[in-house]
Amino acid sequence: MDKDFSSRRRRDLIIAAVLAAIAALVPLFVKDVYVQNIMILTLMYAALSQSWNILSGYCGQISLGHALYFGLGAYTTALLFMKFGVPPWFGMIAGGLISAAIAMALGYPCFRLGGHYFAIATIVIAEIALLLIQNWDWAGAALGIDIPVRGDSWLKFQFTRSKLPYFYFALVLACVAWFVTWWLEDSKWGFWWRAVKDNPQAAESLGVDVFNSKMGAAAVSAFLVAVGGSFYAQFVSYIDPESVMGFQFSLLMALPAVLGGIGTLWGPALGAVILIPLTELTRSYIGGSGRGVDLIVYGSLIILISLALPRGLVSLFSSRKGAAR
Amino acid sequence: MTALLETRGVWQRFGGLVANSDVSISVGRGEIVGLIGPNGAGKSTLFNLIAGVLPPTQGSIWFDGEDVTRMPAAERCQRGVGRTFQVVKSFETMTVVDNVIVGALVRNTVMREARRKAHEVLEFTGLAARAGVLASDLVPAEKRRLEVARALATEPKLLLLDEVLTGLTPTEAQTGVALVRKVRDAGITVLMVEHVMEIVMPLVDRAIVLDLGKVLVEGKPADVVRDPKVISAYLGDRHAQSA
Repeated sequence: MDKDFSSRRRRDLIIAAVLAAIAALVPLFVKDVYVQNIMILTLMYAALSQSWNILSGYCGQISLGHALYFGLGAYTTALLFMKFGVPPWFGMIAGGLISAAIAMALGYPCFRLGGHYFAIATIVIAEIALLLIQNWDWAGAALGIDIPVRGDSWLKFQFTRSKLPYFYFALVLACVAWFVTWWLEDSKWGFWWRAVKDNPQAAESLGVDVFNSKMGAAAVSAFLVAVGGSFYAQFVSYIDPESVMGFQFSLLMALPAVLGGIGTLWGPALGAVILIPLTELTRSYIGGSGRGVDLIVYGSLIILISLALPRGLVSLFSSRKGAAR
Repeated sequence: MTALLETRGVWQRFGGLVANSDVSISVGRGEIVGLIGPNGAGKSTLFNLIAGVLPPTQGSIWFDGEDVTRMPAAERCQRGVGRTFQVVKSFETMTVVDNVIVGALVRNTVMREARRKAHEVLEFTGLAARAGVLASDLVPAEKRRLEVARALATEPKLLLLDEVLTGLTPTEAQTGVALVRKVRDAGITVLMVEHVMEIVMPLVDRAIVLDLGKVLVEGKPADVVRDPKVISAYLGDRHAQSA
């Protein structure tokens, strides 16, 4: 029994390493900048969704306001760089820490809310934050921040000639988010989170600190999402409130996990690999004036999945749940 | 030696309803004590007060020489109070062994040890063959057993069983009785709320009968079942006189 378990964990790790290695080789063959762009976004959303999954999938606290942490990461990095000349690498860490702190400060009152009320609160808070940033002159208000790009620089994390550095960074980010999840899955926190999700009262009777479990999940989740936001700010080199803190980001983080399998190790990555290229392609080929075709595709996919595979696409490959029968 | 568990003058009011009034009971180390009484007697309320689901309106609860009246449930678990739920609360999306690991993590911080402990408890409770099954796929009697296994994995000094034998077939109930005896033989004190008198009475060392929120009678099971007050509480006055 124990052997089965550890061999499955090892197998997951090996598969991940192989997939990462293959992904790392892809740019050698794919030179098209447009396709590279899609790959970067796919990896970024895989990382974001994986991070969202920690709080909402494992711990069961559905957040529809994670755009807040994405925006905080982007803004912290951009502002520190523009106003104080702090290199984005430090901005990334700072943004992560600020987001984690804010996630806990918000969690303090919000984690007392049950079920849907928590999800609603996260939407409202993210919208309030969006309004605040839109009216904050020092941070560029509604116009946003234009990060000046002056040639390639590792220190400033800016690259003009090639997208490859961004690609590899996004790959590392996705791997880190996956690895953190993998590692936490077989830890006291991972077990506490799943227990809290399934039945908080029973969890409490078994010595689980329910409140701090949620706080821990929120902090880890927000930190990783903010790092993703920092990366995005550097990648697009222009941010405004709507483009980094809009509600659509909250959805785009949740949907890959929902599609792939919420609360599973592989779900977010699998969902992102399908959903993000699909969105980008529909947007460029059938989008045009009819904005929203991508949203129709999303909606249909989610409906299909919830009808046919309520536990997400991973349940097609699932060995754990399948073998259990 | 002091009692393992003691409630001193415990009151619980819900608005105008008095669920427990001036309840003082004690449970000694190594005992199996049955908490019985007709519906609405206040058994479940008292049980929840002892488990730490809510604090009593008045009075105090002592566990292992310590005042735990205001201590939250999770901390009581760390001190050695384990419980099951009347309406089973399994972690449905987790496997049986993972359910038990959650409990085992209270005393084992290293995952490998928690996992080993969980398998050990599954062996003890006769669930070893179902370790890899999702909790949602268990039959009701197995879910009851899982409740006990999870609580045992926390290595409690006192195990609170909330109607674990109710609603089982006679065979299942007998296996349940055997398990409770085994638990006691492992040195764990048991306080059980139960409805089915004929199953509980041969099992417990002492019975406490609650009625209308008060302790009505307590003593040896054989004496308790013959007590006219108990008969009248369960069946009405007419039966008490004819007894």
